[in-house]
Amino acid sequence: MLDPTDLLKLLLPLIGGILLGYLLRSKAQLKLDKLTFVIIIALIFSLGFGIGSNNELLGSLPKVGLSSLVISLLAIFFSVFFVKMAKRMVKF
Amino acid sequence: MNENSWNLIPGNLVSDNLFSISLILLLFVMGFSFGLDKEAMVKLKRTGTKILVLPFLVALGSLLGGLLGGLVLHIDIVGSMAVSAGYAWYTLAGPLIGQLFGAEFGVLGFATNFLRELFTIVAIPLIFRFDRHAPVASGGASTMDTTLPVIVRYCGSDMLITAFSNGFILTLMAPFTIIALASLI
Repeated sequence: MLDPTDLLKLLLPLIGGILLGYLLRSKAQLKLDKLTFVIIIALIFSLGFGIGSNNELLGSLPKVGLSSLVISLLAIFFSVFFVKMAKRMVKF
Repeated sequence: MNENSWNLIPGNLVSDNLFSISLILLLFVMGFSFGLDKEAMVKLKRTGTKILVLPFLVALGSLLGGLLGGLVLHIDIVGSMAVSAGYAWYTLAGPLIGQLFGAEFGVLGFATNFLRELFTIVAIPLIFRFDRHAPVASGGASTMDTTLPVIVRYCGSDMLITAFSNGFILTLMAPFTIIALASLI
């Protein structure tokens, strides 16, 4: 379940970053793309590492492979579809 | 599943810490580029409160996908809908659905939502071409943390608030939706 302290841990760096960026607006023109990319790689790597190091999880994945693929793709498809349809009716 | 200070992913201490640090750093950098962007607030005001509808559309779409998936695969429809009600939050979906629907659905819940998050990250350039908001819809509850960085990178920093609030609302909805479905068995 989502823990209030988890949310705080996510919100604080986000808000802190926004504030700092706003304050440094006229002064900073950083190229953050490369830095972002590196951190994303680290994030994805740690996700994979965590999954890979958990034998229980890995063993169970092949059994439900096809079913999970079908359901996840259908869920994604209709989520995207509904959003796209709504955008056509209402401007956002 | 192992306990970690984030309760977001299973894993050992190394990956937990790397994950935590990467996430904090990323959110900071995301926020920073959003704060720097002079256009961001203008774009944000333009989207307004209508953007709060997005998570509910995603929830509906996910549930419909789960329903159809259950029909196609000839498995219990309530179970498959509960699986899709994880909205990509696999560390909740796995254990909770396992508790309420049995181990098989628990594993399915884990795998399905994990695949959803993974697909969003990996296929984001394709998804983005379909629609600007499509990655946010695809990512579901994960758009508040794990898929937030890739979404901001591909969709622009003005997507930050949209993605975060979408993920946040779906994160709140996921456990309630799953438990509500469990009462229908």
